[in-house]
Amino acid sequence: MAVVEAHRLTRNFGGLTAVEDLSLEMSEGEVLAFLGPNGAGKTTTIRMLSGIISPTTGYAVVDGRRTGENVERLHEIIGLLTETPGFYDALNARQNLEYFAGFYDGLNVDRQIEKYLKITGLWERRDGKVGTFSKGMKQRLALARALLHEPKIIFLDEPTAALDPEAAREVREMIKTLSGEGRTVFISTHNLAEAEELCNRIAVVQTHLLALDTPAGLRQRLFRRQVVVQMDGLPESITELVKGLPFVRDAESSENRLVVELNDPENNRPELIKHIVEAGGRIMAVSEQQHSLEEVYMSLMRENSEYG
Amino acid sequence: MAKSRINNVLRNEWRVLVSEPTTILLFTLVPLMILAEAMVAIWLVANIGGEAMAANSFFQDTLDRLVTSYPGAVDLSGIDRVKLLLLNQLNFFVLLIPTMVAIYAGAYGIVEEKVSRSLEPLLATPVRTWELLLGKALAGFLPAIVITWVCAAIGLLAVYILGWGYLIPEYINVLWFVNFFLIAPALALLSFMLGIIGSSRARDHRSAQNMVLFIIFPVFVLIALQMTGMLWFTPTLIIVLGFALCVVDVLVLRIAVRIFQRESIVVRWR
Repeated sequence: MAVVEAHRLTRNFGGLTAVEDLSLEMSEGEVLAFLGPNGAGKTTTIRMLSGIISPTTGYAVVDGRRTGENVERLHEIIGLLTETPGFYDALNARQNLEYFAGFYDGLNVDRQIEKYLKITGLWERRDGKVGTFSKGMKQRLALARALLHEPKIIFLDEPTAALDPEAAREVREMIKTLSGEGRTVFISTHNLAEAEELCNRIAVVQTHLLALDTPAGLRQRLFRRQVVVQMDGLPESITELVKGLPFVRDAESSENRLVVELNDPENNRPELIKHIVEAGGRIMAVSEQQHSLEEVYMSLMRENSEYG
Repeated sequence: MAKSRINNVLRNEWRVLVSEPTTILLFTLVPLMILAEAMVAIWLVANIGGEAMAANSFFQDTLDRLVTSYPGAVDLSGIDRVKLLLLNQLNFFVLLIPTMVAIYAGAYGIVEEKVSRSLEPLLATPVRTWELLLGKALAGFLPAIVITWVCAAIGLLAVYILGWGYLIPEYINVLWFVNFFLIAPALALLSFMLGIIGSSRARDHRSAQNMVLFIIFPVFVLIALQMTGMLWFTPTLIIVLGFALCVVDVLVLRIAVRIFQRESIVVRWR
């Protein structure tokens, strides 16, 4: 069952369209990466889905309710990590969390604060003024704030942006824990590796939705699977032989490397190897051509700028 | 639950306000300085130029009008009338305190949120925008009123210390009560709302502070108008002014509520 649904969401700011005709669904427990460059409408989408701003057209449904209908109820079940942490620097970590926790009904504030300050590794610094915290500490504190009320749906806007590698890793570990707890997590990011590491599916956006699939699905949609055969010497005759095989769509050679696109990679690969060996070729290694998510992303962006 | 959320906002506003040394000074030392300055000025004017004022035809009209507000003044000597006139000015002078404190609290409360970027996470909680606005309003309004009343009490004590205690039964009349229990709260609320409205455009604490100077200017105009005799606030006029302020409060409150909407705050406030 879908817990987050966006139906043709569009948001204009004056003459500028920040998000256009965006539709997607997220099922319970899913972790979805919302991937796009700066200005692609990621924050605006999160704001619409979390009921902070309303769409110009279209609508969103979160946990079975339209986002504009009962915003206070919606905010009881979602957690939002905003792009900037947003704390009162003159107050300490505990006072900051006490304030935000004070808006939720029936919450055991002290227990929840202790729980999440410990999880985020900030318990020892609970009485330290937030103004003295590093960016990473503030981000972890913001994550603690977003989770205090145990939300079932969590929106994270650029959770590791501007963090050093160690702090980013800590935040990613926390997100994995949330995912392990079965919570639905929507992550806006432009960090491709992070999206691939953390998420079940990836939505690539540039004002409108360019693609939505699993990382493997995206690769498959954009790039055909290719087999790489590393040879100990590659005569022209072998290249020509391979190109002539009926199950080979295309083959390219460079130095001792033969890159072959097969009709059915799983079944055709042994046949291919057999033909090369029979022709006297000495095979050093056979592997599958891996396309990085970055290639997928760049390809989508290129396509969008060419046809958009 | 709304009550506890409003209390939560109120408590946090005060926590943030008292964490700022400038605010503590503004809420304590500055009101006392305003009062002390007014008392010293009154004492100096009465003692150095009081007799001259009583005899000067320029002030005669104003001193005659004093009787319309203080009927007992008819039996007072010329110099005592001057003292009573000066104490009457003190009422208006003290109005600077709620104006200044409330507008600063209003503007600071919003600008602090803008600078720290805490409004968006705040608006992602179940707090309603009216609860947030009311909590903030109370956080500025209550100290403004309490400080004003404390200053009014200290002012009365100072009148005794100056040796003018015999004027107090005449001085504390309907004007005094309307001034401190109707005009001061209405002005504090108005100033707070103007602080909110203005600070929706302010980017930092300094521009919020500049607004204080801009908005207290009309209070100075009131003092000047009365001192020069151009306008005299009779008990009737002061009551009318008090209720007019309440009406303006309602209108400005509606504007503030309209500005203080979740979407406006996130999208338009910069």
